[in-house]
Amino acid sequence: MASKITFSIGGVHPADNKIARGRAIEVLPLPKTVYVSMAQHLGAPAKPLVAAGDSVRTGQVIAEPGGFISAFVHSPVTGTVKSIAPRKDLAGNLVTHIEIAVADEEVWAEGIDLTPGLVTELPSDVPAMLERIKANGVVGLGGATFPTHVKLNPGPNAHPECLILNGAECEPFLTSDFRIMVERPKEIVVGAAIMQKILGGCKCVIGIEENKPEAIEAMGKAVAELGYQGISVQPLKKRYPQGGEKQLIDAVMHRQVKSGALPISVGAVVQNVATSLAVYEAVQKNRPLITNTLTVTGDCLPVEKQHNYLFRIGVPLSFIAEYAGGIPEGAAKLVSGGPMMGRAIANIDACTVKGSSSILYLSEALTKRKPESNCIRCGKCADACPMGLEPFLLNRLYKAGDLGQLEDNAAQDCIECGCCLYSCPANIPLLDNIRQAKGQVMGVIRARAAAAKAAAEAAKNQ
Amino acid sequence: MSLMRDVVIALMPAVIVSVLFYGWSELLILAVSVASCVLLEWAITKWLLKKPCTVGDLSAVVTGLLLAMNLPSTTPWWVVVIGAVMAIGVAKMTFGGLGQNIFNPAITARVFLLISFPAIMTDWTVPQGFIQNVDAVSGATLLGIAGEKGALAVADVDMLNTFLLNIGGSAGEISALALLAGWVYLLVRKVIKPWITLSIFGTVAVIAAIFHLCNPEMFTGPVFNLLTGGIILGACFMATDYVTSPMSNWGGVVYGVGIGIVVMMIRYFGSYPEGMSFAILIMNCVVPLLNRWFHQRKYGRA
Repeated sequence: MASKITFSIGGVHPADNKIARGRAIEVLPLPKTVYVSMAQHLGAPAKPLVAAGDSVRTGQVIAEPGGFISAFVHSPVTGTVKSIAPRKDLAGNLVTHIEIAVADEEVWAEGIDLTPGLVTELPSDVPAMLERIKANGVVGLGGATFPTHVKLNPGPNAHPECLILNGAECEPFLTSDFRIMVERPKEIVVGAAIMQKILGGCKCVIGIEENKPEAIEAMGKAVAELGYQGISVQPLKKRYPQGGEKQLIDAVMHRQVKSGALPISVGAVVQNVATSLAVYEAVQKNRPLITNTLTVTGDCLPVEKQHNYLFRIGVPLSFIAEYAGGIPEGAAKLVSGGPMMGRAIANIDACTVKGSSSILYLSEALTKRKPESNCIRCGKCADACPMGLEPFLLNRLYKAGDLGQLEDNAAQDCIECGCCLYSCPANIPLLDNIRQAKGQVMGVIRARAAAAKAAAEAAKNQ
Repeated sequence: MSLMRDVVIALMPAVIVSVLFYGWSELLILAVSVASCVLLEWAITKWLLKKPCTVGDLSAVVTGLLLAMNLPSTTPWWVVVIGAVMAIGVAKMTFGGLGQNIFNPAITARVFLLISFPAIMTDWTVPQGFIQNVDAVSGATLLGIAGEKGALAVADVDMLNTFLLNIGGSAGEISALALLAGWVYLLVRKVIKPWITLSIFGTVAVIAAIFHLCNPEMFTGPVFNLLTGGIILGACFMATDYVTSPMSNWGGVVYGVGIGIVVMMIRYFGSYPEGMSFAILIMNCVVPLLNRWFHQRKYGRA
């Protein structure tokens, strides 16, 4: 086994709490009604192509991309469209959802290969592969839900050198990536080979943290048996936020992406292992992205009540919670995603989207904010920051409202990983404040870019 | 809170050794110093600032211990109280309390007392300890002798003895070994980083080596300078104070080099035999500037 590596700046070591790691993936049943969000990817929301009263089949396109950075959305069920209306998402914001009443019998749309066999032979036509990824609505499943066909098509001037498959899963509690790597390693590796081919045959490194030895073994075996050229498994030291795109590039390639630049500028393309599985299904089976894996977990949930579910998009979280045995008594906070970067579930009636990864029940002990005290300038936050920022300084500048200094001190580079908050002995809400500061600085940067563009165009027109 | 508790634990070896050798007198100073620092902070937060009480964070206990360690073991109790008023009342709370002060409170108090009560602050009579040590009832410190009579007067001092036990001088300077044990504890617990301390040691050693080689009769050597006076106490526990030292590693190195230069200049050319307190206080002034100049290494902005 190759020696373990990790990223070079900052990071913390929270207890990994992978309690649900031993729970095999189960298929979640369907509710009576699903609500499919039109904003389940980064970029412009999708535009509905169906109307109330239409009957839809499973896997049929129900919405088209609303812009260049956007994605197709497919029906996760067979049934009848009841309405197309605004509905509250996870955070309580109104988003257009397509409501579909689920029929008793499931009929899949035509052209979808539902046979279980593994297809290892890669198609030769690269544009056709990209088209299938786009047509099947594949987006990045590592958190950002960036449309995959856009990321895999970096343009003629780009030089992809390394496809990094992200199997770090450094967030505590989450085990969905771990389970798919253990249960479906070959499909993931074929997906990686497809992306490798699309990117022009660059090498591919699959990064997995050392606390998942079963995944390292299963993926290693799959790579060896399938025999594609230039794919290797790279064990990583356990360290949060290893799965951050910039951190993983630093760990695997020893290169750092410049502030404001894309990973492709250093020859890197990072894709999550779950995305690779979706790519496999899209290209080899023509199956649209309507399922993903999600972990029901938490510190106040006994292991036998924890689950990894294969869910369809559009299922209300409340349905999943109920099916899994109800919200546990000790739960003080419900989170979608991991405890470090996940988002609080403000609305349990919100529905699963392509990028859903967990329902996390956290006890009061893990979530309650302790009283804030004075900063003693110990510098623990600066040591922990994986971007090499100085959170204590950004916090002070934010309070002073000094946007110029905030930009000079790279507030806009913050990846919102929460290491500063985690390491602060004075319990100062560093991330909360820096996130605000980052938003303001990004606003300034965007306004400046827009003004410069307008001025350039005005000069051209004269 | 746990950080401050670690500092208290790290100071314990030196505190215990000083109590063993300086007896009841030292115990009284420690008690008065810690009690008055804690009481003052409590009183100031309650009656003057009308804010929540902050003594629970243990920082006043640390200041009290450090102040006691920086005084001769014969200091009268009322001088200790004045020192506590200076440390907590003036150097710490007037700036806004924990984390806001520019100058290290214990050092500020020591310098204030040294200038105000020079006789008391340089009275190195050794009181009766719990462990008898008749030989040691000498009085003058090695640095004092060297400052007065030149380097030759201390040329045959056994340095190993000085490392283990150095009777005479401020209470905390009694054992380099005990101080370094506490420093290593702080490093292991990741409370502090080694750079400030090491750069002070390195600078003192280099400067002393150069001067000693040029004129061994006039200038004391590197080992002597490292092991006598407040260099180790200052470098391990005072200069590494979070609040009054730079945030970045390189800032810390520059700060440490500055302290090393100032202390050696005072020792060789100043009118005081010892200059660690002044050196730290002077470099405290530079810290905001160092924080502006030196930053962490940022990702993707090399």
